Amino acid sequence: MTTLLPPRPPAAPDNPAKGRPVRAGRARLNRPGVAWTLPATVFFLLFAVVPLIAVVVLSFMTWTGLGDPKFVGTENWETLAGDSVMLKSLWLSVLFIVLGVATQTPVSILLGVWAAGPQRNRAVLSAIFFLPLLLSSAAISVLWRALLDPNFGVPAQLKWLFGDGNLFGNQSTAIGVIIFVGMWQFTPFHTLIYQGAAKSVPPVLYQAAEIDGAGRVRQFFSITLPQLRNSIITSVILMVVGGLTTFETVLILTNGGPGTDTTITAFYMYEEAFRRYNFGMGSAIALVLVVVATAISLIMVKVSGYDKMRSTMEGV
Amino acid sequence: MNKPSSRTPVLAAAGILALSLTLAGCGGGDSAASDRPENEIHVLVYGDASNDVESAMVERFNETSDVKVVLDTIPGAEYQQKLQTVMSTDAAPDIFFNWGGGSIQDFVDADLLMPLDDFIEEDPKLKDAFLPSVFDVATVDDTPYGVPMRGTQPVMLFHNKEVLASAGIEEAPQTWDELLDAVEKLKAAGKTPIALGGGDEWPTQMWFSYVYDRVAGPELFQSAIDGDTDVWDSEESRESLGMLRELVDTGAFGTNFQSVKFTDGGSHTLLSTGQAGFELMGSWEYSTIQDVNPEFAASGLGWSEFPEIEGGKGDPANLVGNTNNYYSVLKDTRYPEAARDFLKLMYSDEFVQEQMAIGNLPTTTSTEGFLDQATNPDYARFQFGLVQDAPNFQLSWDQAYPPAATPTIHSAVADFFAGSIDEDGFIEAMQSLKK
Repeated sequence: MTTLLPPRPPAAPDNPAKGRPVRAGRARLNRPGVAWTLPATVFFLLFAVVPLIAVVVLSFMTWTGLGDPKFVGTENWETLAGDSVMLKSLWLSVLFIVLGVATQTPVSILLGVWAAGPQRNRAVLSAIFFLPLLLSSAAISVLWRALLDPNFGVPAQLKWLFGDGNLFGNQSTAIGVIIFVGMWQFTPFHTLIYQGAAKSVPPVLYQAAEIDGAGRVRQFFSITLPQLRNSIITSVILMVVGGLTTFETVLILTNGGPGTDTTITAFYMYEEAFRRYNFGMGSAIALVLVVVATAISLIMVKVSGYDKMRSTMEGV
Repeated sequence: MNKPSSRTPVLAAAGILALSLTLAGCGGGDSAASDRPENEIHVLVYGDASNDVESAMVERFNETSDVKVVLDTIPGAEYQQKLQTVMSTDAAPDIFFNWGGGSIQDFVDADLLMPLDDFIEEDPKLKDAFLPSVFDVATVDDTPYGVPMRGTQPVMLFHNKEVLASAGIEEAPQTWDELLDAVEKLKAAGKTPIALGGGDEWPTQMWFSYVYDRVAGPELFQSAIDGDTDVWDSEESRESLGMLRELVDTGAFGTNFQSVKFTDGGSHTLLSTGQAGFELMGSWEYSTIQDVNPEFAASGLGWSEFPEIEGGKGDPANLVGNTNNYYSVLKDTRYPEAARDFLKLMYSDEFVQEQMAIGNLPTTTSTEGFLDQATNPDYARFQFGLVQDAPNFQLSWDQAYPPAATPTIHSAVADFFAGSIDEDGFIEAMQSLKK
């Protein structure tokens, strides 16, 4: 964050005149002063750390939103540990992420590489293709809910494909619909990432490959894909974090149902806090979500070597 | 940093800023800010088409009163959540819309509501002007906390006259066996016998409420909600579940009812377009259908009571549904007299007429005299008769329990209809509910 701040003004250097030894690094780098990080730090504390602490405290309390919260020790955590819906919701969240990444990544890479091409018609087509990005998740969910209505939507017209059209009434098809709608909505976004990355691959690589007699498929796997490495990691991390917090799509499309069959953790948190008015339990679920999300992000960053930001240009 | 430097003031300023922002974030102090607004009281209602009447009442009240009423509305789906979060703050409404029963239980427990005994003592009509079975729903621990403020919404069995006729069903089923018989005939005619918005889950719950009431009488649910969860495992409970299972398994609701919703127009369109024979729904079905298909509402839509179940303990005249909506008063209101005077409007003739004009059926004793002015007098008379004659009017299960129970009840009824839990699973789910 500090790199975004303006360089420290030369008017306020540390005054070494008092005879205190000056640490070498400081003098050499002339880093911006701590004071410059204050606004950002204050806001971070205020809007991230303070609420997080409040959530930790609240997870040891019971509170309906009325009157004062009551301290109950580890009761919420004990309930949560033995709660089958919580376990199911975590498993579902993981499943949603895996399915989301598995469906969106290949399609958006192919589309992104295709859209990075030079022809004019691609620009027009890409613009149309990016339209879902402009719509809100709520609008998209309402739209698909109506389109997939068993009696008045597409399934009623294509009975050979959809059978009785009970898409929202079975766990597997309900999950399928949510994954599909997520894909419809977010593939354009990831395509955009890959389009940008694919455009920045140096053309000289392809020219060299052509001279060596490599075909298009070979070029794709040997040049394009390795060059997209960092973009793939970025895109997948975004999908994972986005997948963990998927909420409005589930709320509108299935309402966590049938029964609790699509109740993912973020939805379960909402249900506990804002439908059962059990804010203590909701906070505990939120914390689980924070821990899981942080752990997954850290693992992905470590495993992928993203923290070192190895250049894709090496060897050029 | 052991020497005074130019940074100290910056740090101090930032510290003060952070501190003040944190305090502000905690919702203000409780001294000066807690003063409720002067010369106005706020009335919070569920935002929908009925707001016209509420606005009219507010206007009427403000013509003569020095303390002005301000009407605030919150769109439907958000209502209960917003209310819950605002109730214990300084922004709490002086008077607010609710469903009686469990919907105000938490507020009563938190000592936020004003008992209306004193008001009623001063003006007995605040109680006597309303049908007793309806008024009593907003009574908690023998203390009245609410005054009816909209129309009653009993659940009835609606049907498509033409579809029934074409399937050879002469009149609406009066008994459970006749209903099962009608289901068979409709299946044979290639129709979905009963439209059900299973995706919303609360329409599914209506079937449970009625079958339980007919089989076991209202006592079973009352015991359950009073804390005796053993009743869910009783013989009557299992019998009710068995009948529901039979109905689902026979294909009465078709196979895709879990994907159909009432709220997006799915189930009632099945009925009004002739694809289904019946739908069990609250009395708002009429105005809903009138909105989208007025011709069908006027001539094709039929209605009847929920069928009698032979040998059941419950009175066949018992009703299930939303008895009415209520206005409750905040204990801390600055102008209790103004609040009382505003509540008095809820039994005025103007109020009744205004409600009838938009198709609602108010539950004052004077309503009967205005039935002819309703949009559909036949329908209004039938409905009023049901409510007046009902020995018991069971508030919807999810409204009778505090809001915390709603997700569990909804999942349980949906899972049972879907077949993903059996009798034991349903009983276990209902037994897990705390009072």
